[in-house]
Amino acid sequence: MALINVAAHEIHCKIVYYGPGMCGKTTNLQYIHSQIPQAAKTDLLSIATETERTLFFDFLPLDLGKVRGFQTRFHLYTVPGQVLYDRTRVAVLSGADGVVFVADSRRDKLEENVNSLKELARNVQKMGKRFQAFPLVLQYNKRDLSTALPVPIMDKYLNPLHWTRCEASALHGTGVFDTLRVISKLVISKL
Amino acid sequence: MALDPQLTAMVVPLAEVARIEEVLSRLVDETGGTHSLLLDKSGQVVASHGDANRQDTTALGALIAGTFASSREVAKLLHEKEFKVLFQQGVRENLFIALIGEQWILTMIFNKETHIGLVKVLVKKASEELLDVLGRVRQNRRMRDDVLGGNFHTSMEDTIDLLFRD
Repeated sequence: MALINVAAHEIHCKIVYYGPGMCGKTTNLQYIHSQIPQAAKTDLLSIATETERTLFFDFLPLDLGKVRGFQTRFHLYTVPGQVLYDRTRVAVLSGADGVVFVADSRRDKLEENVNSLKELARNVQKMGKRFQAFPLVLQYNKRDLSTALPVPIMDKYLNPLHWTRCEASALHGTGVFDTLRVISKLVISKL
Repeated sequence: MALDPQLTAMVVPLAEVARIEEVLSRLVDETGGTHSLLLDKSGQVVASHGDANRQDTTALGALIAGTFASSREVAKLLHEKEFKVLFQQGVRENLFIALIGEQWILTMIFNKETHIGLVKVLVKKASEELLDVLGRVRQNRRMRDDVLGGNFHTSMEDTIDLLFRD
C-alpha cells in the first residue's frame, strides 16, 4: 500500500518484479540501475547466494523528484524465483502496490511461467486483494533468443486477463523502461 | 480494526506525523538509544529520529521490513500467528523491532550503553501510543485528491513519460 506522508510531502510506492527462476527479474533492476544519472544514483541492494542467485530480494529505490510538491519514490523489489522460496516471495510481496510479472519466453519455460503466475495469484489473494483488480504488467523477456515462443502462444497461456504486456530483452535493456513506465502509471492511477 | 485490504494508499496527516515524531524522539531520549524508526510493513519509512548522519534509512527500512515479513512466515510454520518482537544483537549496535497493529514496525537502534530491559518497556509504551495514531490514520477518510490536488495524476504521468524511456 502506497504511503502518503503529508508532513514530509512524500509519496512511496512499492513495485515487485515476480516470475520463475532465471527469467531476468534482477537483470531488469540492474539495467534500470545502470541508467540512473550519476547525481541521483542510489545503491542496488542484493541479498544473493554466492552464485549470484537471488536469496531474499533485490531492492532499488528510485527517486522521481518533486511532482506537484510531493517527493515521489518508487521502491523496486525482486523476489527469488526458485520454486523452493515460495514463503520468501510472500514476504517480499507484502504491501506491494503493483507487480511486474517477468515471463521467460524460452519454449521450455512455459510451464514454469504458468505455475509461477498461478502462485502469484494465490499470494495476492492471501494479502486480501482481488487478483483481477491488482495492478499487474506482463513482461515477455528474452525475446531476442531463437528459442522464444511466439507472442500469441504466450498470450494464450499467460494473459487470459488481458493485462498490458511488454516485449523485452532485459540483458540489452530493450523494453525494460517500457515495462517500468506502464506499471508506474498503473500504480499511480490507483492512488 | 483491520485495514481495508482494497485500500491503495495510506495518508498520514500532518498532525499525526508530528505525534509520531514526538513518540520517536521521546523513545530515543528516554532509552539513550541512537535511532528510532517507524516503518510501514511494505518497508517504507514513515518517520525516523536520531543520528542525523544516518543516510541509509531507506535501505534499513527495506531490510528490516523484509526480516519481519520473513519472520512472519517462520511463525506460520511453527503454528504461531506472528512474532510480535524481534531482537538482533551485534557487537556494538543492537536492534529491537516491534510490530504495531499488523501494519507498522517500530525499530529501536541502541548500543551497549542502553539496557535491553529498558528498551523493551519503553518500546511497549511507545507502541501503545503509536497504535492509537495508527487507529486514527486508518479512520482518515480524506480523499486523495484533497491531499494531492486534482492535477497530480496528469503531472505524474508526464514525469514518468519523461524519466522512464529507453
